[in-house]
Amino acid sequence: MIATRSPVVRLGIQAASPLALVAGTYLLFAGHNQPGGGFAAGLVFGAILALRTVTGLQRPTGANVLVVVGMAAVTLVAVAPMLTGNPLLDQQVVSTTVPVLGKIKTGTALIFDIGVTAIVMGLIVALLDGLGADKLANPPAPQPVADEPTSESVK
Amino acid sequence: MWLIFAMHVCGLVGTTLVGRHSMRFGLATAAIAPAFAGGWALFNLTSSANRIYEFTWVQSLDLGFQFKTDALALLMVAIVSGIGALVFVYAIGYFGPDAKPAVRFPTALLAFSTSMLGLVLADSVWTLFIFWEFTSITSFLLVGHKNTDPATQAAARRALMITGGGGLALLAGLMVLTNTAGTSSLSTLQPVTGTSATVAALLVLVAVATKSAQVPFHVWLPGAMAAPTPVSAYLHSATMVKAGILLMAVTGGAFADVAVWKVVGFILGVASMFWGGIGALRHRDAKLILAWGTISQLGLLVTLLAIGSPKAVFAAASILVAHALFKAALFLVVGEIDIRTGTRDIDKLGGLHRKMPLATAVAVLAGLSMAGAPPLLGFVAKEAAIEAALGLAGIEQILSVAAIVGGSVLTVAYTVRFLLTVFGPGPDTAVSQRRWAMTAPAVTLATAGVIGFFALSWVNSVIVPVATELNPRADVYKLKAWPGFTTAFVTSLGVLAAGALLGIVLARSRRSAPEALGAIAADATLDGVLSGARHITSRVQHGSLPVYLATMAGTVTVAAAVFFYDISFDHVRAWDQPLQLALGLAIAASALAGAFVSNRLGAALTLGAVGVGISGLFVIGGAPDLALTQLLIETIVVVGFVVGLGHLAQSFPPVDRTWRAVRIAISVLGGLGVVAALIASTAEPTGSPPLDELAAQAVEEGGGNNIVNVVLTDMRALDTLGEVVVLATVAVGILALAPTKKLKKNRRPKQNSRVVPS
Repeated sequence: MIATRSPVVRLGIQAASPLALVAGTYLLFAGHNQPGGGFAAGLVFGAILALRTVTGLQRPTGANVLVVVGMAAVTLVAVAPMLTGNPLLDQQVVSTTVPVLGKIKTGTALIFDIGVTAIVMGLIVALLDGLGADKLANPPAPQPVADEPTSESVK
Repeated sequence: MWLIFAMHVCGLVGTTLVGRHSMRFGLATAAIAPAFAGGWALFNLTSSANRIYEFTWVQSLDLGFQFKTDALALLMVAIVSGIGALVFVYAIGYFGPDAKPAVRFPTALLAFSTSMLGLVLADSVWTLFIFWEFTSITSFLLVGHKNTDPATQAAARRALMITGGGGLALLAGLMVLTNTAGTSSLSTLQPVTGTSATVAALLVLVAVATKSAQVPFHVWLPGAMAAPTPVSAYLHSATMVKAGILLMAVTGGAFADVAVWKVVGFILGVASMFWGGIGALRHRDAKLILAWGTISQLGLLVTLLAIGSPKAVFAAASILVAHALFKAALFLVVGEIDIRTGTRDIDKLGGLHRKMPLATAVAVLAGLSMAGAPPLLGFVAKEAAIEAALGLAGIEQILSVAAIVGGSVLTVAYTVRFLLTVFGPGPDTAVSQRRWAMTAPAVTLATAGVIGFFALSWVNSVIVPVATELNPRADVYKLKAWPGFTTAFVTSLGVLAAGALLGIVLARSRRSAPEALGAIAADATLDGVLSGARHITSRVQHGSLPVYLATMAGTVTVAAAVFFYDISFDHVRAWDQPLQLALGLAIAASALAGAFVSNRLGAALTLGAVGVGISGLFVIGGAPDLALTQLLIETIVVVGFVVGLGHLAQSFPPVDRTWRAVRIAISVLGGLGVVAALIASTAEPTGSPPLDELAAQAVEEGGGNNIVNVVLTDMRALDTLGEVVVLATVAVGILALAPTKKLKKNRRPKQNSRVVPS
């Protein structure tokens, strides 16, 4: 792959990673009042993970952990209101004043959004694993025999 | 009553825990709950407090469980749980002291017992249906106990398929019935008439015939004899096969005015009565003889319930009790013989009356009760049946009397043949030590038949309320120990004499047992369906991605065809802003380029360009959330393509000309269809969206200013929840299919093994 050989692409993605992390986190928290949200945040995180994968950089591999954590968070928010007699998925809004940031209004929807983010990330990581993205970045020595010639063998 | 269910559930848990360490104690643990339930039912039998117990789960959907404790339900509980407890004790002996610890068998048997309990206590037809299906499944597990034997597997599968199919018919039948009757409660069911009633009656009869092994659905019952004998004694004589009879009894009132119910039921019953009797006379395996005898007896019950006169219903209730007692006892004895001699073949058995005197006594008592000889419960019950037939008039009388007399002659004949060939003279069979756990339950059941005869007034006090519940005019009848020299009694004596003679003659016959043609046919049908399904699947799901896509696009085109009528250009504007035109042209150009590019990566990039262009349109349209998500998705998809395409060749494979033409045609048509649908959707604007309301709600309830996000996470959070569940499922599916991790794990040990020796 070109990406693994090109230091420019590699370095660029390496530099972009923390930026993406910040951008995704911003989207996650801003979502309630401005464009963004859990789904978008998950996609940003997922995109940077995908880019890191193709360039052979390190990335987390625990897709199952992400999915489980996400489902747990989402289910918790969904079911918890029922314990206190409220309908399923009823939202609780909390307003507090935090020293540096001032007055903050948030709610259980945030946890829900975090869960969504985790699931979306989990799905993308699972897809990358499933497509064998690692193998493309660092091709294993013996190529399996396939019906169609792979891009490596063509080159 | 809830306590009893709770006990069963605790029993299930306890059995799994105890059965892990010892089969015997596992069975003993399992016996506790049914013993208690049986005792409770027996205690309350004569003073049945007709109560309804309800447990509502979802009020608005009318979902829940409804149970009742009327006379019939209590009698059935007494049979189901009483015999159940005895069978558990018997199983301790059957599996012997050296049985390996097992969880599955005792748990499945108790689970069956619990389902049966729910079935007989059910008041709502839906509760009945659920437990009906439970019995099908648990009986599948029990019949397939020896799960390594192919014949047993086939038998279990056959039983499941036939009873399961009957369950479907029952579901349909109950839907039609409750719709017609306007109630789902069995205790408030009123007679129904009309076409829908006829349909419901037929469907319910199919369910009855499958569960109660009536011709032509009886083929599963002889095969199910592959099960261990405790299972056969319990499921295939006393309980599960009675479920159909019970269903027929409780719905009989509703279908009383439906002609088909009577005629088809009568034909089914008589056919089974005769075919079962003939089968019992032909087979040479003691257990199969009993199984075919059961088919015959169930046929008699179905016949009586189909006749439906008060006296016939009364007779059916009596025979139901008598049959449960004697047939279970006979099965238990056969199981004991099987364990102690190692065979059930009547040609290899002989001289057992000397070596197993107690078992012989039990078998003779139970057998005579089955044949309907005095002084046993079977006799008075059979007497009632003959009287019921005689009490009819005209052609009904002639047919019913002929059927019941003929069936009874066969019954006596196979009973006599069974007793003579199994216990009478023959080759000397070696017999092992007696196991009391096996003998005691059989003795209990057989003596119950005798006690029943002498305590007839008590039996009457049980049966009369049951019969009255099923047919209000049946309360005038009573079982009589000594009827006097009535026509029925003389007929009985004639039946006994003729049957005994036939039985003695046939006992000498050495003709080999018939082949199980019905079972073979059933299996062949099932195999045919399965291979047909496989064939169709391989045709439809051939795995060619282009064909799948073509099918989808074609479907879209066909679905969009309806929109061509609605197209109107009144509300179609060229553009709101010139930028839209530019973007639109760019999108169209990218899409066209995508169609002509021969490089795979190039095609992926053009698709990405289309997506980015569309998100640009969203921005102009004032939907930043949508645009953001779209843009991110496009990015990921392009990266995904890059990753995925790495495995494939750079260019698309060549396509032959016809296929290419077809693909072009479908694409163009699909595109036109989408355009038509979009234009049609603008034709009739339906007012403006309730934007202000939504905005107010979002701030007030959701506590956020971004309506889209508040809608997603609060107002329509359930939809989001459903969507993320789908995403999570996809992720889990990919993880399950992904080969990478497994490969790594497999590779590592190999490398290690190479490294370690050096």
